Amino acid sequence: MTDSPVTAIDAQGLVKNYLSYDRRGFLKKEKRIVKALKGVSFSVRWGEVFGLLGPNGAGKTTTVKIITTLLLPDDGKALVNGYDVVKEPIDVRRSIGVVLNVERGFFWKLTGRENLRYFGMLKGLKGRDLEERIDKVVSLVGLDKIGAVDKLYEEYSLGMKARLALARALLSDPPILVLDEPTLGLDPPAAREIRRLLIKLAKDEGKGVMITTHNMFEAEIVCDRVGIISAGKIVALGTVSELKKLVAEEIPIQVKFSGIVKERLTVLEDYLKKSVGVQKLRITEVDNGFELRILTPIGNEEKVIANAVLALTNKGLSILRAEVMEPTLEDVFIKVTS
Amino acid sequence: MPGINMWAVFRAQLHASIYWYKNNKWLAVTMFFWPYLMILVLVGLGSIMGSFELYTERMNLSSPGFYLISASAIAMTSVGIIDGVAGFALYNRWLGTLNYIILSPIRESKLFIAAGLPDSLLSALVTIVAVMPAAIYVEGLLGSLKLLIILAFMLAGMIPLIGLSVLAASALLVVKEESNIINSIVPFILLVSGVFYPVTVLPRILQVVSLAVPTRYVVDAAKMVSTFSTPSGAALMLLLGMLALLGIIYNTIAGVAIMRAEKAVKMRGVD
Repeated sequence: MTDSPVTAIDAQGLVKNYLSYDRRGFLKKEKRIVKALKGVSFSVRWGEVFGLLGPNGAGKTTTVKIITTLLLPDDGKALVNGYDVVKEPIDVRRSIGVVLNVERGFFWKLTGRENLRYFGMLKGLKGRDLEERIDKVVSLVGLDKIGAVDKLYEEYSLGMKARLALARALLSDPPILVLDEPTLGLDPPAAREIRRLLIKLAKDEGKGVMITTHNMFEAEIVCDRVGIISAGKIVALGTVSELKKLVAEEIPIQVKFSGIVKERLTVLEDYLKKSVGVQKLRITEVDNGFELRILTPIGNEEKVIANAVLALTNKGLSILRAEVMEPTLEDVFIKVTS
Repeated sequence: MPGINMWAVFRAQLHASIYWYKNNKWLAVTMFFWPYLMILVLVGLGSIMGSFELYTERMNLSSPGFYLISASAIAMTSVGIIDGVAGFALYNRWLGTLNYIILSPIRESKLFIAAGLPDSLLSALVTIVAVMPAAIYVEGLLGSLKLLIILAFMLAGMIPLIGLSVLAASALLVVKEESNIINSIVPFILLVSGVFYPVTVLPRILQVVSLAVPTRYVVDAAKMVSTFSTPSGAALMLLLGMLALLGIIYNTIAGVAIMRAEKAVKMRGVD
């Protein structure tokens, strides 16, 4: 290892192929190679929150598993706290706290505290040190306030489970945290608390924090830098403001409407692409209706918004709101992954 | 940076097992009844080919009551070891805890052996404590002494059985249809070890296979101890020698197998 690693995590050219079998009849199987990662490179600096974003199946979890030594790469190199994930896995494991799935990963018939004792011992903690660390992390994640730590894990809500998962990751006070969707399924207040904690851990304690998320809003407010992964490749990398410049020549338009069933959305999307004359658009379901987001070149927005409203009205849909927006990380995401 | 050793894993797993029994008191209580249910199973299976007297005669038992008690303890312990060591990966994969356990700073090969031991030992001790009153009832204080001799054999038999279980655990980690392995291995080991029927009534091929099954030698010891009030020390030592030999063979093979399994799993990814 290097004496003082410059970066918390340094991944260079990670490649991973999986062998998959497609069933062809009762006994016959056909081999298929799935290229999960095609040369992924990124780094996580000390004192920053780095977000790895990407659609489902893009390679986020594969990357996390390689970084955490749970999977060997076929090619490329990753250093965590200066240690090689392939050659020095034990040192890597001592350097990281990990959350892989907030919904499970604990013993149901043990209390939160008993679970933390078990996993703490597996990290080499014992005696008074262990008890002090448990008290500290339980207080950090707020499990003590809600009186959950001495309840059986089977009685935990999803929010409690997420807090306990984060408490386990922090138990050995590792310099690096690798968190796979740490706020998935949490209610807004709980998610906000976790986000605040992540920022605090990076800024106040200088930890290197890497998170994966689908939540663009979360990435925008938590992450110092973001990497967007698509089909096994990093397609955009930089600070949120740097990435927004990628869509600077394009401006997002948002139209909220109602009056259609969800099943007809794909047809409507195709219709709008033709009638409005733009390709970069997406419809998502929101409260009390749907939201159409269009990316259009600057200077063209008035014409596009008028065409979109007209096209939707022609289809008998009710327009609730239409506006030209500031670009968001989601716009960048749509642009680079489409 | 140092990692943790096998003792730390053993301690952690022992704590988890104790917490688990503490929070599942009824299950802990029922553990004391299972050996008696196993006695009923042994009597039932043994009597299928005739009366209980015929079974006693076929097994060459002078103290059938004590044999049934000790055979039940041996069967329960064997199941406990295979479940504890080989089932460890399977159970934790289902729970979603396997990834986090593997993230401990220790080689997976050492981790799986050390983590499977506490449950196996607890199972053996609970079983012996559970059947002790019955042994005393059947044979008086001599019964309890005999049971302690059998406990010593059970512990000696654990060493090769752990190697065998690690081999099964290696297979469990590599293949996808995990539960089939445990579901097959336990009844097979009990069948060829002579717990249900004497090995001599088994087909020739199974008699040969039984020579490689550690539980067979523990069952032989139980038969000797239950038949003679002072069993031959030389004969018992021979059985212990066989267990030691199997222990060396299985644990050497298991050491290589688990490392290969570790690599195979890490190429595929831990689920």
